[in-house]
Amino acid sequence: MSRVGYLFDLGCVPYRDAWALQQSVAAAVGQGAIPDSVILLEHPPTITYGRRTDEEELHVPADADVEIVETNRGGKSTFHGPGQLVCYPILDLNRHGRDVKRYCRDLEEAVIRALQAYELEARRFDGLTGVWLDRPPRKICSIGVHVSRWVTTHGYALNVDLDPAPFTEWITACGLEDAAFTTLTAEIGRSISVGDVRESAAEALGDVFDLSLEPLPASDVSDLWPQPSHERLAERSKGEQAPTDETVSVR
Amino acid sequence: MAAGTAVEVVMPQMGVSVSEGTVTQWLKAVGETVAPDEPLLEISTDKVDTEVPSPAGGVLTEILVAEGETVEVGTVIGTLQAGEGAAVAAPAAPADPQPTVTAPNEPLAAPAGEATPAAKTGTDDEQRSFVSPVVARIAAEHSINISTVPGTGRGGRVTKKDILAFVESGAPTAPATPASAPPPAAATPVAAAPDAPKPAQKSPEPAQELAPGEHSERLTVMRRAIAEHMRHSLEVSAPVTTAFEIDMSRVVAIRKRLKGEYAEQHGVRLTYLALITRAAIDAVTQWPWINGEIRGNQIITRSYINVGIAVALDDGKGLIVPVIKNAEEKNLLGIARAIEDLADRARNKKLSPDDVQGGTFTITNPGGFGAIFGTPIINQPQSAILDIEAIVKRPWVIDDENGNDSIAIKPMMNLCLTYDHRLIDGAYAAPFMRDLRTNLETWDESRY
Repeated sequence: MSRVGYLFDLGCVPYRDAWALQQSVAAAVGQGAIPDSVILLEHPPTITYGRRTDEEELHVPADADVEIVETNRGGKSTFHGPGQLVCYPILDLNRHGRDVKRYCRDLEEAVIRALQAYELEARRFDGLTGVWLDRPPRKICSIGVHVSRWVTTHGYALNVDLDPAPFTEWITACGLEDAAFTTLTAEIGRSISVGDVRESAAEALGDVFDLSLEPLPASDVSDLWPQPSHERLAERSKGEQAPTDETVSVR
Repeated sequence: MAAGTAVEVVMPQMGVSVSEGTVTQWLKAVGETVAPDEPLLEISTDKVDTEVPSPAGGVLTEILVAEGETVEVGTVIGTLQAGEGAAVAAPAAPADPQPTVTAPNEPLAAPAGEATPAAKTGTDDEQRSFVSPVVARIAAEHSINISTVPGTGRGGRVTKKDILAFVESGAPTAPATPASAPPPAAATPVAAAPDAPKPAQKSPEPAQELAPGEHSERLTVMRRAIAEHMRHSLEVSAPVTTAFEIDMSRVVAIRKRLKGEYAEQHGVRLTYLALITRAAIDAVTQWPWINGEIRGNQIITRSYINVGIAVALDDGKGLIVPVIKNAEEKNLLGIARAIEDLADRARNKKLSPDDVQGGTFTITNPGGFGAIFGTPIINQPQSAILDIEAIVKRPWVIDDENGNDSIAIKPMMNLCLTYDHRLIDGAYAAPFMRDLRTNLETWDESRY
C-alpha cells in the first residue's frame, strides 16, 4: 500500500529559484504539512560545487555562458543544463529507513529502472555513487544529496540529451579524472527529450520509494510557503504567458 | 551543576549501512554559543551531506575531529559545555542525547582537578591542541607530548602525518610522561580524553598509510571497471589456455609484398594483427562455439562474428575493446581499415558507445611488445580470447618430401587461446587452433 506523494513537474527553472523551492518544500515535508514530494525540472546551464570541491576541479572558460553556484549538497562539482532531467526528491527518511547510504542506492535503483525503459543496462560502481554504463565506464547520472533532520534535498541529474563536454572541459565533474560522461541520446542512438523521460523517471522513483505520486498543480505549490519562485510559478500557471526574461515554466 | 555539564558530540549514525562519516564543516567555532538543535556541524557520507544538530544548548568547548577527517560512527568529535556561559572544559559525565554513544568519557583522562587548570591556562595552547582522536591515540601509545611535535596542519595543528613522522624520527618521547607531575600545557586533557578505550574508535582514517618510498594515486574509474571485469570473468568462467606454434614464413612474405600496395593505394597499414585477425575469423566460422556464449542454461551461437580488438590506452590508463561488427563480411583490406580506424578513435576518445558493444570474440596483441606466451582473461560473456604473440626467428626442424630432417630458420609465432571450459573442451579448441594455423601457414590470397 503505497503512500501518496506530490509530484512537482516543472520546466526549466534557474538553480537558485529551484533551491528556494526545495527548501520550502523540505520545511513543509519535515513538519508533516505535505507528504514526501518529488520535483522534476531542468536547469539553465549551471555549474554547482559543494564544500568538498577542490579548486582544480573548476576550469570554466571565461566566455562560457554558465552560472556558477556553491551548494550544500554532498558530492563534488557537477554541471546542469537543458536536456538533463533533474530530480529532487524531498523525502522524510524517517519513513524510508533512516539510512543515507541506502537512500543513495535507492536513488540509483530508480534511475537504473528508468533507463530499463530504453533497454539500457545501467549499473553502479561500488564507491562511485551515481549511475553508469559500462565497457568502458561512462557516467550517465550524477547524485548529490543533502539531509537535514532526515529530510532530503537535492537528488540526481540524468543526462538525457545535451552535450556532455562541460563535464570534462569546464569542470572535472565529481572530482573524477578520466571519467567519461554520456547521455541517453548518445547511448540509444536516437534523439530523446527530457519530457519523454519524465514519466518513466517518476514511475521508477514511485516504485522504489513506494510512493504513489500525484501531480500537483503549481497553484497549490504557491499556497505552501511564500517564496518568490512559488509566486512566479503560480503566475505562470494562471497566465500561461511566459515573461521573456524568465525561464520558469510549468507543465 | 547543570551549567557545568559537558556534553559529547558524537559522529551520528546515518543508517545501519553507514559506519563512518567525514566532518566537512564546523558551523560553530570553539567558544561560540549554540542553541539546542541548532546545526552545529556538517558531515558527509557517500554523496550525502548532513547537518548535525547540537545535542544541547551551550558553548562549544572542544573540536576533537577537524574538518576533512573521517571517523567511525560514535566517535566523540567535540564537546559542549551545557548551559550558559560555561567556558571551562572540565570533563564530566557525558549527558549524551545520542543513543549511539555509551562509552564513558574519562577513564584515562586526568582527574578533573588536574585537567581544569590545564585547559584554563592557554587559549593559545588550545589552538594548537586540537588534534584528531587518531593523533591523540598515537601520541598516547608512544608517550609523546603533543606540544613537542612540530605541526604542519592548519594553525600549526599536529596532523597524523606529523605525529607518524615524529615517531619515525625516533624523537625523544616525553620521558615516560612522569605520571606524578601534571604534564605540561594542554596535552593531557585533549590528548587523553578522546583516547579513552572506546570500542567505536578503530581506524578513523580510511586513507592508507604510505610507507617511505611509496607513492599513491587515485584509482581511475576505468581501472576499477577493468579490475571488476577481470575478477568477474574468473568467477564465472573456467578458463583454460592452449598454445600453438605457427610458422609465419608465408604470412611474412605476403605482408612484405602487399604492404606497399596497401599504403599507397588504400592508405592503410597492413599489420600482422590484421592478417591474423582475418585468418582467425575464417577459423571461427568453422567452430561456432568459439564465438558462442553460455546464457543461463542455453548455448548461444551466432551467424555473425563481432571481433573485439583490445587496445591499450596511452600511459597505461587502461584498455578499451572496440568491436568490428560483422567481421565475417570483411576482406583483408576491410579488416585492416577497421582496425586502424577503431584503434585511432579509441586512443583519441572518439569511440561511440556502439563501437564498444556487442563483441562476440576478442583478440589481444601483446606480441607487439615482444611477448611470446600469455593466458588472457576472457571478456565476459564471451567464451574465448585469442592472444597474438611476437613473431620470432627460431631454428626449426623441417623435413623434406623424402623424410630427411634439417634445421631451418623460421619466423615462428605462438598463438594462445584462452577458452571457457564450461562450454569448450580441449578437443574443440585445439582443432580450431589447428585450422587457424593452417590458414596462416598456407595463406590463400584468393580467399581473403
